[in-house]
Parts: sequence; structure tokens; C-alpha cells
Amino acid sequence: MSQVVLEARELSKTFASGAERIAVFSGLSVELAEGQSLALVGRSGSGKSTLLNVFCGLERPDTGVLALLGERFDYREPETAGQAEKRWARLRRRRIGVVFQEANLMPALSLLDNVRLRARLAQQPLDQCQAWLERLGIGELAERYPDQVSGGQRQRAALAMVFAMNPDLILADEPTGSLDRRTAEEVTAELFRLQAQTGVALILATHDPELAEQCGMTLDLAHGAPAGQAR
Amino acid sequence: MTLFAALFSHYRRHPLQLVALALMILVATTLWSGVRQLTEQARTSLTQSEQVIAGRQQVVREDGVAVTVGDFATLRRAGLCVMPWLEVPRDGDVGLVIGVDPLSAACFGDEGNVFGDAGYRIEGEPFVDISEAARLAREFPGTERAPTLVLIAAGAVKAETLPAGYRLSAFSKGPDTGELGESFLLNLDALGVLVLLITALLLRSVYRLGIVQRRDSFALLHRFGVPPAQIDRWLVLELLVLAVLCVVPGLWLGSWLAGLLGQGFGRSLQGLFDAPLYATSGQWLAPALTMMAVVLAACLADFLVPRTRLVVARRGQGKLAGGLLLAGLALALLGPSLIWVFAAVAIVFAGAGLLTPALISRVADRAGVASPDPLRRWRYRELAVMARQLALPVVALQFTLAMVLAIQALVTTFEDTFDRWLGQRLEAELYVPVPEGRSADAAARWLTSQPELQTGGAWHRVVRGRGSVSMSGTAPAPVDLFALSPVSSLVDGWDLLASADDPWGILAREEGVLVNEQLARRLGVGVGDRLELDVAGAWLDLPIAGVYADYGRPAGEVLISAGLLPAHFQAAFESFSITPGALSRAELISGLEAVWQVSELAVRDNEEIRSLATGVFDQTFLLTRAITVLTLALAALALLIMGWVFFTGRAWYFRLLAAWGLSRREVAAQLTRLSVGLTASVALLALPLGIWLTWVLVHRINPLAFGWSLPMAVYPGFWVELIGLSLLIGLGIALLMGRQLRAATVLPVSANSLAGGER
Ligand SMILES: Nc1ncnc2c1ncn2[C@@H]1O[C@H](COP(=O)(O)OP(=O)(O)O)[C@@H](O)[C@H]1O
Ligand SMILES: [Mg+2]
Repeated sequence: MSQVVLEARELSKTFASGAERIAVFSGLSVELAEGQSLALVGRSGSGKSTLLNVFCGLERPDTGVLALLGERFDYREPETAGQAEKRWARLRRRRIGVVFQEANLMPALSLLDNVRLRARLAQQPLDQCQAWLERLGIGELAERYPDQVSGGQRQRAALAMVFAMNPDLILADEPTGSLDRRTAEEVTAELFRLQAQTGVALILATHDPELAEQCGMTLDLAHGAPAGQAR
Repeated sequence: MTLFAALFSHYRRHPLQLVALALMILVATTLWSGVRQLTEQARTSLTQSEQVIAGRQQVVREDGVAVTVGDFATLRRAGLCVMPWLEVPRDGDVGLVIGVDPLSAACFGDEGNVFGDAGYRIEGEPFVDISEAARLAREFPGTERAPTLVLIAAGAVKAETLPAGYRLSAFSKGPDTGELGESFLLNLDALGVLVLLITALLLRSVYRLGIVQRRDSFALLHRFGVPPAQIDRWLVLELLVLAVLCVVPGLWLGSWLAGLLGQGFGRSLQGLFDAPLYATSGQWLAPALTMMAVVLAACLADFLVPRTRLVVARRGQGKLAGGLLLAGLALALLGPSLIWVFAAVAIVFAGAGLLTPALISRVADRAGVASPDPLRRWRYRELAVMARQLALPVVALQFTLAMVLAIQALVTTFEDTFDRWLGQRLEAELYVPVPEGRSADAAARWLTSQPELQTGGAWHRVVRGRGSVSMSGTAPAPVDLFALSPVSSLVDGWDLLASADDPWGILAREEGVLVNEQLARRLGVGVGDRLELDVAGAWLDLPIAGVYADYGRPAGEVLISAGLLPAHFQAAFESFSITPGALSRAELISGLEAVWQVSELAVRDNEEIRSLATGVFDQTFLLTRAITVLTLALAALALLIMGWVFFTGRAWYFRLLAAWGLSRREVAAQLTRLSVGLTASVALLALPLGIWLTWVLVHRINPLAFGWSLPMAVYPGFWVELIGLSLLIGLGIALLMGRQLRAATVLPVSANSLAGGER
């Protein structure tokens, strides 16, 4: 049995909506091991992004326990916010790669410089960056700026950035959501190919059932489903 | 929803932008119209002094007593055409009003037209009916200048026709200042224009920001079938309404500002040109229309000149900027008159304005390429983007910093120099004017015979009057005479701008004269040149032994030994400067009182005079300082607003840094380094511009405007203060933005709606 990367227990999150609080998810538990992939599915607004943000510490759940990559965050007890923040920052910097739907690149840097920046923050060697762009098929675009390439190429660069940091966990929030079907399929294929090669754990938020099927597990947030169901 | 409501909803969502825009217009109007009002007032006053007063005679009593209404009646009964002229300070307000009697003005015939024509109607300020002036004088007694009655004589009044006990005397308000007064006002005009320019830049930057953000909604409206021309019309209307709403109170505040600064300004005008500041009725329409035009032009320049800008923007901007800079620098060096020098300043500023953002962004880009650390490279590239995106407020801040720096250097230099100069002028402890009708010779004999005065004491006698001077071949020009005897140790400590060997010895031996800087510049003479001097009909032909600085007055002056004055010379004024030394002050005063047979001698302590004079000069620059500080505050505020808006647009990318594992504090640190880097570069680039502007003010504008120049001094301490201030502005931006990053922790899913992806 491979090592557990992420283990969430009884996570709940509410948002204030005017006077009342709306629950996004409650009592949510899920577990993910090395090399596994999990799809978060559900309609728009069902809480996929919120959950991903919780998994990388950009958002705080109201309660629950989260253990990942050797760190434990117990939200049932009040923790000094600063300390948790520091531990989260360290994780995001070195071990958790986040990919958003778009705008993953700094507009003032070339694609290569973006990859180098991400690798530098993760303290990974900079000389592999060009190779990562090549592995994603955009080696010849290295010196271009984000606004000089297509949306699909930008997302490939975003994947290059994430893999260049050599993470243990990738959180991808609808990474192909703004691409046309064909391009989306190509980019996703790259993602799964590299995930298989590197053995990194992957959590992918998507509303596309076909894409979700390619993941080993699916967590349906559509109806605020309380628990993950492995397939 | 009406179209207007749809357009205006942007400001409902961003009220701060509307407030900023309104504030900009308001403050710009206040500053500019305040300066303008003072300038206009001074200009009118100078013209009036020239037109109405110059060359006129007044009737005075031979016994030296001030004339009264009784004298007026006597003269009118004698059939003489005289007119009462009563100058009364307006209480709590700026300037003097002049009471004249329209009935008695009638006998002036055509001459009287000066009061009616040329725009100065008797019923309009500064001229009021004499009864009104008398009422004002009664109601507000004890203002600093007591109202004085003067009886002006018509041209037909001749000395022979005057009744016994009266004589004619010139009604002059001091030396003919001619062009110099104009130059001084031109300086103020230039300051006003500079302020207007800077505020227009700021206004434009804030307005364009709003337009950029509203572009989406314009496109939407267009898709709904609203023709673009109609949107444009509404935008113009919207701006027009805003301008009216802000310009009108701005003008009101401007006149309030002018009133606030007017007292000091009036005094300095008097000190510099011996011209009083007359009250003028404020104008509203012209400045209001000007300001509206500036607001519209600044904000809507793109509508008016479509599509030409972009072409210039990228291509050849550096070359254009360089060309402008070179042309401006050359013109500043060679410009023959004040107008040319001002044009040079404008050209250099335009060049610098084009160059600065481009330079910062290029240097940052280069530095980015050169640095191997990706994070540092990112920071440099981001700085370059900022410099391009915030070009307008950046340039405005640079201009303002340069202006503040130059004016501070000028004012401080002037204060230092003036203080030292005044110290040398007022070397003696006491100043004793010779009472009317007493003999200065007798007093001089008495002083010579006091042995105690020789030990530690010193004195000299000063005779002031008028003469005329000519270089060989030129027409004689009137000049002030400053005659001294003996040439004591009180003067030999003067700093001379140029001198022969032993100038004071030459002066004492009556072998030469000294001239003030103004005269030397005007005549183009220096040490060793010979001057022909007409002193009450006696001709002197002497070399110039030295040139002395003479601040605060444009008149030319010649310093000679009093021994050269002919016996019949009519002194305008005589005085003694005395340091009593071993002689006690009381003994000195009682001795002089005995010689002159007066019961109470007017003796003034020179320390008092000095502090009085310093006070007047402090006020002289109050206006300039106040305006520069206000402009600086405005520029800082504008950059703060713009920087904040810029970072808001780019907030996503700072959150991206957080997603990549920078802690909030680290992100804030990056932010700070960026914004402080920008304002620091602006400050650094403002330094050379400011130093150059100081040089222009000191070496070009001041001599052309005032006839004298100051030593050029720089104040690195103040540079440090300015740089510190810029860093504070940068910190302010970072702080504002840091708060915003803290407020929203959620990463937006889509960056579609975000502007700010510029590179
Ligand atoms: N900062 C927030 N404040 C209030 N409500 C929020 C906030 N962020 C998200 N929500 C709400 O939480 C729910 C889940 O949002 P999200 O996680 O973005 O859904 P998804 O990514 O599945 O579309 C939505 O109803 C959304 O409106
Ligand atoms: Mg989402």
C-alpha cells in the first residue's frame, strides 16, 4: 500500500450570505494516496474550488481535520493563524502545485521565465525548465510571453510550471475549462501522462463527466454529498 | 434605466474615483486661480502706478505738514485744478482702494480720462468715491498703513500760480521699474502654468483610468444599439457637469487663497517694486472658462485628436524625447529673454516627461534580463510594466518633485544670502535719520569730536538722492545715489561680487565709485570701466572699483564718497549709521539731540530693522512655498490613487504568488519593493531635473527678471527629505494594496473579468 498523501476528516465550510450562513460542504471526508487521482465533480457553485482552496490552505474550513504530506491541520481547535499560514505556505511552495482555469502565468515574464520562477520558489534546479516545456510540446515557445500564445499553450506552460516544481500533490481547478474540446483533451492527456510518469497525486475539479472518468476516484459535490465514494 | 444612469453607474460602484476626479478639478482650480488672481492684481497695480501716477505732480505744504481737506479747499478757492487722492487699505482684504473726487477730476479735462478710460472707471475698484474711502478709513482705523491724503495737480498748475506756503513735488511711487515688474509677474504666470500643467496631467490620469474601466460597458451599450457618438456626447456632458460643479467652488477657494497670501504678497511687491497692491474686482468668467477648457482638453484629448497619439507613443519616442531635451537645454543656455527661457523650461519638461517612464521601464527591463534570479527578474519586469502603465502620474510626481526641489533651493539660497547681505548692510548698531531741516554736517562734526567713539565704535553718514548716469555715448539714465562719508569699517566687510584692489580705499580717496549688480548688468559694465555721473549738474567721470549685491530692489544705484557731492545737492534723505563703542547710547542720543535741538530723536535699532526686513522676505516666498507644497500633496495623492488602482487590477498575480507558496508577509514585501522602487526611481530622476531647474532659476530667470542673481547652491539634505517622501508615497501604496490582499483570500476562478494582464 502506497503512502497516504491527503486525509480529510469531517471538513465543513460555510459562507456568510447576508445574515445567514450557507453550507458549501459539511462532514466531508476523503483520502488520497501517492499516484492516485481524484475528480471533484458537481455543478458550478457546488464548492469544488472552495474545497481545492481548503486543500492548499488558501481557505480555512470551519471545522474538521486535514492531514497532508506529513502536516496535520486540526481545525477543531483554534490554532494561531500565523503558524498554520507559515506551514501552508511552505507546503504550497515546495510540495503542492496549483493550476487554475487560466491566468496561471505572470504576464510580464516569458513562458520559460515563468517556469523558472516556479522552480526557483520550489528550490528545484533551473536547468530542467526548458526540458519541461519541451515535454509539454511547447519548447520552441519558451521565449514568448503569455499573451503571445494560445490558451491551450498557456495551460501547457502552467502544467510545465507545476511539474517543474516536482510536487507531491497537484490541485487542478478546471484546468481546461476555458479551452475548446479538442485542445482540452490534448492538454488533459498530457496531464494524465505526466501524472502517471511522475507518480504524483492529483485532485482535479471539473464539471466534465468524461474528464472525471479518467481519474481513479470521483467525489461528487453536486448535492453536497457528504462523503467521497471511491469507484 | 436611462443611458445616463447606465453610464454613471460606474461611479456609483467606484465613488472614490469620482471623488478623486472632483478633488483634482477643485484643487487645480483653486491653485491656479489663486495664483492668477494675485498676478492679475499685481499687474493691474503696476499698470496703474505707471499710467495714473507716473509723471504727475502733487501739491505739498512748504512746512512739511501733511495736507488736509482744508488745504484742498484753499487751493480750489484759488482757482487751481487739484484733486484729492486718498489711499485706504481695505480691512481684512487685499490691496488698497483709492478715493478720488469725480467732481474735481472734471477740471483735469482730457488728462482726467486716465481715471475713466483704460478700464479704470471711477466707480470700479480700486477707484471709489472719496467719501466712500473716507468712510472706510474711519471704520477701519489703525491698519498697518495709515491712509494718506494727496492733492494731485493738473498739468496746468504751475509753481508760480501756487499760493504762498505750497510747492509742487513729484508724485512718484519709486523708481521706474519698467520691464522688471513685468518679469516678476511673468515668473508668477509661469508658476501658475506649471501648476496647471501638473494638475492637468493628474486629472487626465485619473479620468482615463475610469474610461478604461468603463470600456466594457460602453461596448455593451453599443451592442444594445446606442450609437458611439451618443455615448461620447453623454461623456462630454457628464464631464462638463462635473467641471462646472467643481470649477465654481474652486474659483471661490482660489480667491480665498489669494486673500490669504495677498498681504504678504502685497508687501513683497512693495518691497521689490515700490508699487502698492491695489484692490481689483475679481473676474469670474474668464478663469472659469479657461479652467473648463483645460479640464475638457486634459480629459478628452483622445476624442479630439483621434488615433495620432498611439503612433507617436511607441515609435521614436526616445528620439523625440532626446531631441526635445537637447533643444530645451540649448535654448535655456542661449535664450535672449525671459519668454525664451520659459519656453526652454517647457520643452525640457516635455522631453523629460516623455523620457522618464520609458527610461524607467527600459532600465528595469534590462536589469530584469541581466538578473539570473527569476524572482528578481519578475520584480524588474513588473516595475517596467508599472512605469508604463502609470506614466502620467509618475511624470506628474517627477515634475512636482523637481519644482519643489528648485524652489526650495532658490528660496533657501535667497534667505541665506539675503540674511548675510542684510547683516553687512546693517553692521552698525544704530540708525539715526537726520530730522527734517537739521544739518547733517553739524552732527558729523560733533561725532568726529567724540573720542570715545573712536574706541570700538564706528560711524558713517549716508546721503541718498538721485543722479543720472551714462556710459560714453549713451543717453543719461536716472540712477539712485548712495553717498557715504567717512568710509568706515562698517562697510569694508561687504561681500563684493567683483572688485579692484582696495575698493574702499579708492572710494574714500574719491578715485572711483561702486555700483550695484543691477546697474552693472543693465549697463553691461564691470570693474575698471568708467562711468559718467551727473550729480546735480556736476559731472564726474570715475572708474568702477567694485560691484556690490543689492537684493530686493530693481533700481540701479551708484555708491560714491559724499565728498564728491556738490554743495547744492538736494538730498532725498540723510541718515547716520553708528556703532557707539565706548560712548554710551544715552550719551550719543542726548549729544545729537543737543546738536539738532530736537526733543525726541528717532533712533532705530538695526536689529529691529533686520528682523522686520527678514519678515517681509519670508512672506515674499510664502506664496511660492504654499503652492509647491500643495501641488506636491496633490501629486502624491494622485500617485497613491493610481498605484492603488493599478495594483487592484493586478491583484490576481499577487495572489498567484501566494498560491505559489509565498507567505502573506512575503507577498507584501514584494509589493513594497515594487512600489517603493517606482517612487524611488521617480525621485532619483526628479533630482537632475530639479537641479537643472534651480540653475535656470538662479542663473537665467532671476537675472532676467530681477536684475540680480544669487549664488547657486544645492541642498542635499533636502534631496534626502524628498527621496524620503517618495519612499513614503511608495510605502503608502504598498500598505493600501496589502490591506486589499488580506481582505480577500479567495482566488477568483476566472481571470476573464480582470484587466491588469499588461506586460
Ligand atoms: N468568498 C466567498 N464568500 C461567500 N461565498 C462564497 C465565497 N466563495 C465561494 N462562495 C460560494 O460558495 C459556493 C461554492 O463556490 P465554488 O467553490 O467557487 O464552486 P465551484 O468551484 O464548484 O463552482 C458558491 O455558492 C459560491 O457562491
Ligand atoms: Mg470553481
